[in-house]
Amino acid sequence: MNTELNRISLMKLADGQKGVIITIIGGRSASKRLADLGLTPGTEISVIGRALFSGPVRVEASGSRLVLGRGLASKIIVELK
Amino acid sequence: MTDERRINIVLAGQGNCGKSAVFNFFTGLRQHIGNWAGKTIEKREGTLYYKGYTIDVLDLPGIYSLTTYSEEEVIAREYIIHHQPDYVINVIDSSNLERNLIFTLQLLELECPVILAMNMMDLSKKKGMIIDCEKLQRLLNTPVIPTVASHGSGLTGIIDKVIGLQGVNKAPRKMKYGKEIENCVKQLSPGLDNNGFPYPARWMALKLIEKDNDITRLVNETYPEIIEKAGVLTESLEGIHGHDSSIVIADERSHLASQIAREIIKITPGKKISLNDRLDTLTVHKFSGYIVMIAILGGMFFTVFSFGNWLSGWFETIFKEWHILWLNNIGSSLLAALGWSAIESVLALVQIALPYILPFYILLYTLEDWGYISRISFLMDNLMHKMGIHGKGCISFIIGLGCNVPGCLSCRIMETRRERFITAILVTLVPCSAVSVIVFGLVGKYIGLLWALGLYLFAMVLIFTAGRISSRFLVGEPVELIMQMPDYKTPQLKTIIYQTWDALKEFIYIAAPIVIISGVFIQAINLAGWMPAISSFLSPVTVTWLGLPAITGILLIFGVLRKELILVMLAAYLGTANFADVLNAQQMITLAVVSMFYIPCVATISVLWKDYGWKKALTICIIEILFAILLAGIVKRFLDIVF
Repeated sequence: MNTELNRISLMKLADGQKGVIITIIGGRSASKRLADLGLTPGTEISVIGRALFSGPVRVEASGSRLVLGRGLASKIIVELK
Repeated sequence: MTDERRINIVLAGQGNCGKSAVFNFFTGLRQHIGNWAGKTIEKREGTLYYKGYTIDVLDLPGIYSLTTYSEEEVIAREYIIHHQPDYVINVIDSSNLERNLIFTLQLLELECPVILAMNMMDLSKKKGMIIDCEKLQRLLNTPVIPTVASHGSGLTGIIDKVIGLQGVNKAPRKMKYGKEIENCVKQLSPGLDNNGFPYPARWMALKLIEKDNDITRLVNETYPEIIEKAGVLTESLEGIHGHDSSIVIADERSHLASQIAREIIKITPGKKISLNDRLDTLTVHKFSGYIVMIAILGGMFFTVFSFGNWLSGWFETIFKEWHILWLNNIGSSLLAALGWSAIESVLALVQIALPYILPFYILLYTLEDWGYISRISFLMDNLMHKMGIHGKGCISFIIGLGCNVPGCLSCRIMETRRERFITAILVTLVPCSAVSVIVFGLVGKYIGLLWALGLYLFAMVLIFTAGRISSRFLVGEPVELIMQMPDYKTPQLKTIIYQTWDALKEFIYIAAPIVIISGVFIQAINLAGWMPAISSFLSPVTVTWLGLPAITGILLIFGVLRKELILVMLAAYLGTANFADVLNAQQMITLAVVSMFYIPCVATISVLWKDYGWKKALTICIIEILFAILLAGIVKRFLDIVF
């Protein structure tokens, strides 16, 4: 199977579905900030909930939960597990 | 007392790690809250007297990392480096251990003496995590003390440790990262060692590889060749990993943190779904979450207003007697009248504002301590983004409903100056409890509660529109929400009382002096007999455009001091609180609309001035005055058709 097809934005992940962070598109400061929270390439991440009208998402990664704004979440590219 | 009996410690940790609870436990009411020099960021200091030692405690801003992402982060790391505290107490949320350890690793890079307070041990235990603190202590070669700060347990152990380790070599182990990075460090650090820099060489080397702006600039001034070398090393590092070098290092820390976490945590499996998860399925669900939010906030305001009305009425009867006592014993001479107006201003503060502000803060901090406030940020983030800010701004709005002053002060939680400023502008439009006194005491009481609630809805629409406009004018990249949603926990009475006390203290310190001075000043104008001249001067606006009685001109001037004075002075002028005698329904609504938006009160203006400069403060005032007059005039004409 082509791995490229398995790469989607974190926003596209269904609730409860798991993925591995491949890369973070966009500015250095955003990816740096995520990295300081442990969201680095290779980390397993899952979406556990979202707000109404495609608002922010709740994610779980390395044993802790975070809320990420929609714009930021859509810049995180994950590979489906 | 010799210097050896004096120790200084700083508290550092990520947001939501329970740092405030630790700080409050240590310092109690011996706290001083100020600002970092030249910054709008809060600086909390306090003193602890323990076993004959005087221990100065400083609470560093809650941050996620020690890079130069935000002002807070720069403040934290510069403080640790330059002030060399005896100990940095790293408060850790043990239920989010892995992520918190990333911060700990950054702290250890600074090579300062660190004690780990492994906090929220009750919560991690509930999650089924068993944490081996002794093993962590061995791994890091630095003390690790399990605590539950909200109950105060384990905290004296930290201080005992601080005292016990006086004069002992207390350097924690230097944690090693991957080979490639260590190789870079080895090549760079000799050139940085003992060269007059205040920072540890290894830390500087890491920062150069991370391309930290401040450190790169500093080194470049004297040793451009080191920067050149770092550039080459960084490039090859990025070539190997395919990411920006700062991500490579962050990844190393994250990797090491996860490795440590794996070694010291044992997960007991078979845990049933926690209460927290069950609550969360309800409170952050995309539909029920909003229903719960409206119910909680609605219930909160109902409680505040019923309690406030009761307490305010109780104060009123007491203060009335005091005035009679004053008149009988001091008399009604010029000086006595001025003296009474000073006292009356303070009493008005106690009678009208305090009864609403007190229960409001108690409930607010209960919700916060419970963990609910961040859920609101989550639910509202999308809407807030349309105003150019993110979900956390919602917290300032909610605080602003109590009082705009702490509402504006709380804008400091926003990450950038632009977002702080937009949030502050919008907070000044949030109807505070003083405005609510007018809305409920006038419109709610004489026309109907639905009209009063309608005005609130109107305010919300207006704030939203103002947000859209101001985010257009104030250009800048909007910051995305990154927030930890803490687990729900049982609110602690002690924490709530401390926080309420802090908020009240700040409110009283700011509001009381202004209210006294202005109260006397206005009374002086009144005694000089200039009031009629002022009201006739303002009558083109008040009478012709807004259709209000001429007296309202003076009332609106009073209102700049504290908005509820508009109503209080009207009652004083009438000699009765039956406003229906002088105002018809249209006039009541028009007056309420003007009062809601026409200018932030003096105390709020002073905060805007302090945080954003007089130009911006003045601009906000002028725009709001013009806008409110225009708006209220239109509303009046609309109402003329309705009634």
